[in-house]
Amino acid sequence: METKSRLLIGLTGNPNVGKSTLFNTLTGARQHVGNWPGKTVEKKEGELNFKGKKIKVVDLPGAYSLTAYTEEETITSDFILKKHPDVIIQVVDAQNLARNLYMTVQLIELGAPLIIALNMVGKPQMKTSLINAKILSQFLNVPVIVVDAREKDSTNNLLNVSLAKIRKVNGSTLKLTYGTEVDEELNQIKRFIGSKESLDKKKLNWLSLKLLEGDYRTEQIITKKPYYFELKQLVDKAKRHLEKIYNQDMNTIMANIRYGFIKGLQKELVIENLHKKTVDITEKIDNLVMNRFLGIPLFLVIILSIFQATFKLSKPMMGWIENFFGSLGQYLTNLLTSVGISKWTISLIVDGIIGGVGGVLVFVPIIAILFLFIVLLEDSGYMARVAYIMDRFMHKIGLHGKAFISLILGFGCNVPGIMATRTLETRKDRLLTILISPFMSCGARLPVYVLFAGAFFSAYQGWIIFSLYVLGIVVAIVLGFIFKKFLIKELSSPFVIELPPYHIPSLNGVLIHIWERVWLFISRAGTLILAFSIIVWALASFPLGVEYGSKASLAGLIGQKVSYVFKPLGFGNWRSSVALMFGFFAKEVIIGTFGTLYGVTDVNTTDYALITALQKDFTPLSAYSFMVFVLLYVPCMAVLAVVKRETNSWKWPLFMIFYTSIVAWTAAFIIYQGGRLIGFS
Amino acid sequence: MKNLTEFNKSDNIKICYVSCGQNFRRRLSELGLFDGAEIEIIKNDRWGPIIVKIFESKIALGRGEALKVYGNKI
Repeated sequence: METKSRLLIGLTGNPNVGKSTLFNTLTGARQHVGNWPGKTVEKKEGELNFKGKKIKVVDLPGAYSLTAYTEEETITSDFILKKHPDVIIQVVDAQNLARNLYMTVQLIELGAPLIIALNMVGKPQMKTSLINAKILSQFLNVPVIVVDAREKDSTNNLLNVSLAKIRKVNGSTLKLTYGTEVDEELNQIKRFIGSKESLDKKKLNWLSLKLLEGDYRTEQIITKKPYYFELKQLVDKAKRHLEKIYNQDMNTIMANIRYGFIKGLQKELVIENLHKKTVDITEKIDNLVMNRFLGIPLFLVIILSIFQATFKLSKPMMGWIENFFGSLGQYLTNLLTSVGISKWTISLIVDGIIGGVGGVLVFVPIIAILFLFIVLLEDSGYMARVAYIMDRFMHKIGLHGKAFISLILGFGCNVPGIMATRTLETRKDRLLTILISPFMSCGARLPVYVLFAGAFFSAYQGWIIFSLYVLGIVVAIVLGFIFKKFLIKELSSPFVIELPPYHIPSLNGVLIHIWERVWLFISRAGTLILAFSIIVWALASFPLGVEYGSKASLAGLIGQKVSYVFKPLGFGNWRSSVALMFGFFAKEVIIGTFGTLYGVTDVNTTDYALITALQKDFTPLSAYSFMVFVLLYVPCMAVLAVVKRETNSWKWPLFMIFYTSIVAWTAAFIIYQGGRLIGFS
Repeated sequence: MKNLTEFNKSDNIKICYVSCGQNFRRRLSELGLFDGAEIEIIKNDRWGPIIVKIFESKIALGRGEALKVYGNKI
């Protein structure tokens, strides 16, 4: 339970009404992002002090309705019924009252301590909004405040009203009627439950109504009751009766009644389209970006520019971070050696811990810059159009239009690509996209291809590398089909998406969003990456006294033991086994490891010494087989850590290790053995 | 009575029947698309999703989904 010295406010509303903007204005950067207990839906909370009161604001998931048909949709009603918030603020778009009021009606049915924040965009709307607020407030019997979600002054006004509201009676006293027939059935259900249990009137109303609508959460509650069977029969009978009278199904009946009420209300309101200008601009942009012929090329140009910009801009920053940790390690080594600390401890600190922290922070620029672009696309309204444009293609391979963005980003780095699956709405789409993401060949794998293709196929280097990227895509599509068929049998989510009017994202909102992503990565995935790094370090350093990562180290020993697994693939030498093992740490490390193991200190991709060394252990065929294996095998631990974070379970990252290993081994086997059969060497 | 993919841009339509499963039907009715509702077709290319205007918002609807919604031109 929340202590009452701290006020609890819940923020709710339809998508695209300015709810997040209001949340950001209210709480500033003091936000906490987590997950709703046991769910993959993100939970955002923020705290603020107002007039000596501590207020906790919870940002509830955006939704069009309160009726829950899936577990995830129960969050808002659960929150209102179980957490007893002091105030529920519904953010309502002044431009789109009718649809927004549908949820208002449901919030009133639920008996929520409701305040409506009528969000208007720009001054011209002020006059009409004020008039409408007054009318709405009279009809609905709840406070209605006109706000500009971006401005602190108007949110302060909202908080003032919230504080005043707390001292008064909760909820609207408005009594909604649903017509004689529905009311009659509702009363019967109410009477039945009332005879079995003593509930207050408000709760009884809500329970009966939701039972009639077939609400998931309510059904879950009553299945545990001893009178469940009897009640279920009663409800089913009522439903059948009503559906027969209206000749419509129950949802349609309720929607019709509620919208009927809203229509009546709307007649009283001043509906005036003062925002013709933005509508026109939106229209103009849409004509271009959703054009039948230009839409896709334009999108590809945008996404490729983002791709280029992200990796171009982040590369020097990543270099700085790497250099910084490199010199820090060097400095510490010298310092600690001079104080006489054992070589082993120094190695733990420098190679294990500092190397690990550096390995986490090196991803920060790429994530920050990438999310800068993603937030801009999302907040401006373009992302919804992308889903529209790409849906026709992605649909064919069973994915949602938006998944395309994640997959493209994966070519740069799988980590932000997987993080970007958040923009997908359903769990099924998210999971499927995450599972095939590792086959998008990331930037860190490229140096391996460059080195090997250069060493063995110098004349066709470009084509060889290109073939690997294509192979990755083909494997992703094939596995996508397999997973869809056997693993994720949930029905594909129907494609319904709102296209909000375009607007310029607020700087504040963008910065908060980027900070959130970066912090989530550091705090959640980062700790896992650090732990893995220390394990890898231990494998490379034990038993005590061996050269780091040498043949005598644990890693070297394991490498020799497992190398027979790779023999049928053409690279049974222990060095490649160790390199692959360290590649799990980060794919960048593979070449460096080869360098260390062959005793070539200065490693770069044109290094002649390393190439000569490799040519002794590999043939062109086994080199290609090795590249294919690097392309497809277990993604780096940063990816696994992010998958764990995004799916909220260890099951999926473990499964990922499993199927990627099998796919990589099989593909490399087919290529090596098949190649030998047709006479390559 | 025709399904939504058979109408043209700027047609105003009164929905008369939504033939699909309960879950999708209620998603549509939450958005304001249910029997008796009036909508406008904003965009209907020969392939890909179609875009309709429901109340003041533009909603993109997958082609497969639009096939299940029937209405009459007003």
